[in-house]
Amino acid sequence: MPEMAIQTQKLTRRFGNLTAVDGIDLQVAAGQFFGFLGPNGAGKSTTIKILTGLLAPTSGSMRLLGVDFAENPVEVKRQIGVVPEGMGLFERLTGPEYLKFVGRMYGLDRATTQRRSEELLEFMQLADRPKSMIADYSHGMQKKLALAAAVIHGPRILFLDEPFEGVDALAAGALKALLARMTERGTTIFLTSHVLEIVERLCSHVAIIHKGRLVAQGSLEELRVGISSEAGSKTTLEQIFLSIVGQDGTERPQLEELSWLM
Amino acid sequence: MADVTQSVNVFEQIRLVAGLRWRILRNSLRKKNNRLDLIGLIFTGIFSGIVVIGLCFAFYAGAYAFLSRGRLEWMASLFWGIFLFWQLFPVFVAGFGASFEFRTLLRFPLNLRAFYIIGLAYGFADFSALASICWLLAMTAGAAVAKPGVLPAMLVIVAAFILLNATLERLIGSWLERLLARRRTRELFLGLFVLSMVSLNFLSPLMQRYGASARPVFLRVLPYFAWFPPSLAGRALAAIIRLQPAGFLLNSALLLLYLVLFSALLWCRFAAQYRGEEVSETAAPARTAVRPIAGKDHGPDRLSLLSPPVAAVVRKEFRYLTRNGFAYLTLLMPPLLIMIFSMNFAGRHPTVGGKGVSADIFFPGMMAYLILILMAPAYNSFAYEGRGIQTYFTAPLRFRDVLLGKNLMLVSVLSVEIALSIAMLAWRVGLPSAHMLVATCAAIIFTIVGQLTVANWSSITFPRKMEFGQMRGQRQSGMAVLVAFASQILMGGISAVILFTGNWTGNPWLPAEAFVLLAAAAVGGYFASLDALTKLAEEKKEGLIEALCR
Repeated sequence: MPEMAIQTQKLTRRFGNLTAVDGIDLQVAAGQFFGFLGPNGAGKSTTIKILTGLLAPTSGSMRLLGVDFAENPVEVKRQIGVVPEGMGLFERLTGPEYLKFVGRMYGLDRATTQRRSEELLEFMQLADRPKSMIADYSHGMQKKLALAAAVIHGPRILFLDEPFEGVDALAAGALKALLARMTERGTTIFLTSHVLEIVERLCSHVAIIHKGRLVAQGSLEELRVGISSEAGSKTTLEQIFLSIVGQDGTERPQLEELSWLM
Repeated sequence: MADVTQSVNVFEQIRLVAGLRWRILRNSLRKKNNRLDLIGLIFTGIFSGIVVIGLCFAFYAGAYAFLSRGRLEWMASLFWGIFLFWQLFPVFVAGFGASFEFRTLLRFPLNLRAFYIIGLAYGFADFSALASICWLLAMTAGAAVAKPGVLPAMLVIVAAFILLNATLERLIGSWLERLLARRRTRELFLGLFVLSMVSLNFLSPLMQRYGASARPVFLRVLPYFAWFPPSLAGRALAAIIRLQPAGFLLNSALLLLYLVLFSALLWCRFAAQYRGEEVSETAAPARTAVRPIAGKDHGPDRLSLLSPPVAAVVRKEFRYLTRNGFAYLTLLMPPLLIMIFSMNFAGRHPTVGGKGVSADIFFPGMMAYLILILMAPAYNSFAYEGRGIQTYFTAPLRFRDVLLGKNLMLVSVLSVEIALSIAMLAWRVGLPSAHMLVATCAAIIFTIVGQLTVANWSSITFPRKMEFGQMRGQRQSGMAVLVAFASQILMGGISAVILFTGNWTGNPWLPAEAFVLLAAAAVGGYFASLDALTKLAEEKKEGLIEALCR
């Protein structure tokens, strides 16, 4: 039995009458590169917010690295890194200032914070603008900085909400290499993305959430079982996703109704 | 093959833009909070309507009186009043915030001419334009009743004047927009604006001292104003009444020349925008020289007595303060206010009241006033965090560290401000008696620390996001304002009663002793409240994040 990084039991979150997350049971083993997929409004960001302590669940429980989040949230937060939706940056700080701030918030000493922030800024190609405020960064630069801040304390689980959105191909390549190396060294990465090709290339395991419910979970190979593809070719994640999420047919646009556009 | 749409005419586009603005307003009022704004809007509308209609009567009566009594040269003063209002009012009310960006219309198929006309028409939708047009029509009516024969000329002059003002207002607006596109300029502009408003308080004492010597200078400058549009409009009207067609033609031609000049400049500005001019800082950040960051910040930690998270929050708060031009400049206000008040009410030569207020009254009074001003932001202390608030909840810390860091920074700023203010008071008015000085200092600690506890609760419970360097739409939550008001009245009331007990009991040191005890209790209460507030923050985190990440 592998060590579990994330385990949830009947995790539920309601907003009034709307059940955004409906009793999901996630199992993510330590060291997995885990993709969390779903259509818009399926409950992905809500789940990440619950798992990172930004949102309290209505019911259910979760354990991260074997520690109950509700019982010891500070200990759990010490072990995780997050790039939340909207990135959560303090836009009036410069990049180096922000990294130093975050490093100190996670309890790193000054010298370590200084050294790591310099290395991360170099790696993310942000070191040449030390005096620019984050508000003046491009979207891609902000994304890279948010990722740098999420890893500065060497987390054991990394939560990434759309990490490659707005990042150029060059930087994305470097980031993917960094993330792959982190998983090799035992870090668990929990990633959401709408770009299924990225998830397919990076992730070993995937879960799909639809209308708040977990509709599939497992390795890519496990999910491919029973799903047909063109003769001789491997079933893509897109085919898996569409066959699971688009089963009721409501998600497919009715193209025949847009005849004036053709 | 997809359809290709027909081109839409300019007037249809103007109608669509007007409809869009209306829908934006209507949709913004759907939320519960905004419905309260609607009530405010209705009250403001009624009040503004009364002012506009009242001034219509005043302009009617002015034009009628000047023309019927032959004081033709005074007509220019009416044109000047309208001109200044039309040009300055929009700068004061709309220069700071992002309202509807009509430039976004550029994505639609418009030619430059249509863009210009829509841009100009957009200027007529301002309150200042509508009010000014009403007043000009009232003036026209007054002139026509006094001298019926003047009506056609008056209509021509007023039409040219309206077009000129609308063009100039859009021109100033577009220049301001260009200037304020950069955040730093916007903050500086806002800070200077607030300072200039505060400086208006100096006018009364300055006029009393230097008024007589300034008069000849003003009279020497006055003739040069004759070549500005309002004077030209007034002179053109006077010329037609005096049956001097050459004078009318000359002044009207000059007025039209201004109109052509402003139109050409506005055309150039709009053409630049039409071509896709973008001057904001985020579009294309300038590359700065490569500067190695290694080796920096390795000196001794000046905040080593604090825990790392508290020190990090204090540093972050300090950086935020220095980068918020508006907040930074308002730190100059307390010493300035003391100077203004001491000029007016205290010292040897007060300009109001004749007899100066004693230092024993003036000192605690000024301190109370300063605390009232400086503590106000503490009731919404997360206002500028934005999305960064999430970091406080994802980082492994207790929320008491965040509150402690924020409060420490505020108390440090307050200490500097109060020390500066005491120095200014000592210079301007003199220090109060020893017992009053000790009592006031202890009262300051009591009121600041006591308010911090309430302010922290208010910040967590009634958060409202605010933007750096913006004035428009930057309002605290109504409940936070109410809590601040109630808390300050309570603290102020308690302090005032205790201060007076010294006089009533004949024991001048009694208030000092009472305030020292209260200050100690307030400090104890403050630290005791931090854990409860941490729990509260955990309960309220969703609302806090939602309000600040909007």
